[in-house]
Amino acid sequence: MSLSRREFLALGGATLAGSVLVPSTVRSQAPKRGGTLSLRLWDPPHFDHMLTISYKTNILLSFTHSRLLRHKAGPHVQPGTFPLEGDLAESWTQSNETTYVFKLRKGVRWHPKPPVNGRELTADDVVYTMDRFLTIKGNANAYMLKSVDKVEALDRYTVRFTLKEPFAWFLDMLSSPVAVGIVARECVEKFGDLKKPEAVVGTGPWMLESYRPNTGMTLVRNPTYFLPGLPYIDRIEVTVDEDNASRMAAFLAGKYDLGWEFPGTINRTDWVQVKDPLKQKRPGLRTAEFPANVMSHISMRTDGKPFSDVRVRQAISLAIDRQELIDAVFEGVGVFNPPVPAALKEWSLPIDQLGEGAKYYKYDPAEAKRLLAAAGYPNGFPGTVCFTTYGSTVLVDSMQLVLKHLKEVGIGAKLDQKEYGAYISTCFYGKFDSMTYGPQTPFLDPDNFLFAQYYPGELKNQSHINDPVVADLLIRQRRTFDLAKRRELIHELQRYLAKQQYYVQVPSGVYVAVWDGALKNYGPNLGYDYGGRLVAAWLER
Amino acid sequence: MFRRYLAKRLLVAAPSLLLASLVVFTLPRLIPGDVVALMLEEKAYARDLAELRAKLGLDRPLHVQYFEWLGRVVRGDLGESLWTKRPVVEELARRLPLTLTLGLLASLFAVAIAVPVGVLSAVRQDTLRDYAARSAAVLGLSVPAFWLATLVVVLPAIWWGWRPVADFVELEQDPAGYVRQLLLPAAILGVAAGAAVMRLVRGMLLEVLRQDYVRTAWAKGLRERVVVLKHSLKNALIPVVTVLGIQVAQILGGTVIIETVFGLPGMSRFLFDAILQRDYPVIQAVNLVVVSLIVLINLAIDALYAVLDPRIRF
Repeated sequence: MSLSRREFLALGGATLAGSVLVPSTVRSQAPKRGGTLSLRLWDPPHFDHMLTISYKTNILLSFTHSRLLRHKAGPHVQPGTFPLEGDLAESWTQSNETTYVFKLRKGVRWHPKPPVNGRELTADDVVYTMDRFLTIKGNANAYMLKSVDKVEALDRYTVRFTLKEPFAWFLDMLSSPVAVGIVARECVEKFGDLKKPEAVVGTGPWMLESYRPNTGMTLVRNPTYFLPGLPYIDRIEVTVDEDNASRMAAFLAGKYDLGWEFPGTINRTDWVQVKDPLKQKRPGLRTAEFPANVMSHISMRTDGKPFSDVRVRQAISLAIDRQELIDAVFEGVGVFNPPVPAALKEWSLPIDQLGEGAKYYKYDPAEAKRLLAAAGYPNGFPGTVCFTTYGSTVLVDSMQLVLKHLKEVGIGAKLDQKEYGAYISTCFYGKFDSMTYGPQTPFLDPDNFLFAQYYPGELKNQSHINDPVVADLLIRQRRTFDLAKRRELIHELQRYLAKQQYYVQVPSGVYVAVWDGALKNYGPNLGYDYGGRLVAAWLER
Repeated sequence: MFRRYLAKRLLVAAPSLLLASLVVFTLPRLIPGDVVALMLEEKAYARDLAELRAKLGLDRPLHVQYFEWLGRVVRGDLGESLWTKRPVVEELARRLPLTLTLGLLASLFAVAIAVPVGVLSAVRQDTLRDYAARSAAVLGLSVPAFWLATLVVVLPAIWWGWRPVADFVELEQDPAGYVRQLLLPAAILGVAAGAAVMRLVRGMLLEVLRQDYVRTAWAKGLRERVVVLKHSLKNALIPVVTVLGIQVAQILGGTVIIETVFGLPGMSRFLFDAILQRDYPVIQAVNLVVVSLIVLINLAIDALYAVLDPRIRF
């Protein structure tokens, strides 16, 4: 089955109406305290979220740590949208384009664990965290807040952020579950860093009770959590299960309450196999489908021949049979991606609205050959594609198809497969000779997809783009606080980028989020914030 | 005499271990590219390259690093895991017993199946039982452990909604449960080794059964059980024991997959994760332990020859 984006959104709406919106009736039921939720998660490399970009750490800390702001969660939130709300911040104001003042909730207590022992969280903790986030060496996410000039505690419960320049995405960055979970100075001073499980002391809804390396973790309800009565779920048992067959068997046997893959989903290839047995074994299971924000693309050295010629890049885009990719690797269910992934519904422009650039998302090898000939490459050209598997068969399959498609128009691209670490330290950061193919970090905002990849000199500007039009639009959207105007700038940018094809985006799959029928008031969404999505959920067993 | 032999073998083992330690130490350093840079970018194991180099002792000449590392190893210090920040010796002490128990149970399973079936197959050569046993052995050799493990885990879940893998139980919590949870993975791990050993037992026993002294035993009117088990089997077992030693090494290698499928936090999974995490000291330490174990197992096999065949003199 293949769907156009419009059809998909229509179907998505129907799916949501059919499954996700149903719990709105449930919300009228009285929430129930207690119970144990069972999840399959991952063994984190360590627990210091400022010293790793690992989703494994960030997901775990979404249960135990709070941020200043967070994304609203629950069955009423449409997957792919991220409305903001206060977390530790009770309210906030923006006095001018570069000044934000946050009023913190009073009476927020750290987990009753040493060395912090449940003392009250204050503005100094926020200042300390921001300072550590911005200055600690090895924080690969520090760029997200590099616009911050200074952070001051105005009083015990008030924090002022002053930015170096206007940054319209600032609040989105603060609410991102990959960024600034607030940490306690005492933990850093006692343990040197926050890598050890003993250093997992936050103000979040659950506390890390035990950590069993390679095996699992237990989280227990934080009795002093600042939102009265929450969380409802008493205990979360986390299993580290590194084998897919074992995970599938465990889910069929009713062990896990959420789908075993990120973010609480089941891979469609597995889903096709298990959905019928699941109907019998777990009839109460609930599902929702929404596009994945994991988007792969081909990046090219546009600072030299042949990729400096826009016709060559357009030819590459025309050579890619996106529908075949969807059919072959996503079981026929996927979405075409413009420069902002289709998953980010509020910002992504549908392909048919990309204007003149829309035609380059069609499969047209004859036109691709014509463009290559016009660019001076009638017989194509040789090249290499830097690649790593990420341990994903989906990625390997799509890579093979991309190579086949390129070859069909005369681009004899050789696979330059690297070990993951080598790939990340070279090709991922633009250190390659010809082309690279691979997924990008699944961010929740368009700026991280656009600015980081298209602005001159940025670390993740893999295609080495230096286009004044793009740079101007990127800066302007960052300085535009009016949401509608910013959206129009992002749309304009996507229309321009569709013509330029600095990166050739390939389709994304559509997630199948699955959760146990006993889990009420839960709404799936993209992103690492498992804790945020579960804080107001309860178990009706 | 035996002690002298053992001492001699240990002396021979020492250079092997020394050579192995050199390989274990040197190989990671021969990987193209700057391992330290990779580790830093990926995992932020340290604040900067210089700190990480100093932490790993990589800021000194290679031979100095090697002898320093060797000196620490001899004193029982295998370094600190970059991942868990705990001494590697501590981590191994926690995980090695599980892998050894799994390996031991798998070997016992292999022997328990292979020897009786091999003997029966040889004694009843070219009968239906023999054909069935040989076919089963070929199947056992052909079926990869990871595939068998996957089937064993998934099919019961699909058919009956039952999962044969329980949550891991520590030895101190429940000793019986600890062993119980290892039985199924050990059986799967032992299948291939069992099949190989069974075929060898059969072949060797058939050869021995055709020897003159066995014919004499038959002529003396001894019972079949005595002829086969007392006079023939012991002689047939010497090459079998040698192969068993090789199989034990393969079983240890197989634990990497089996521990992952069954969620067992053993040493092999530790190594697997360490490779993924670029946990450099752990990779070195685990490889050294595995090499040492294989050397020791081979030593034990050599010693076993004398027990099986008193004619063997050391």
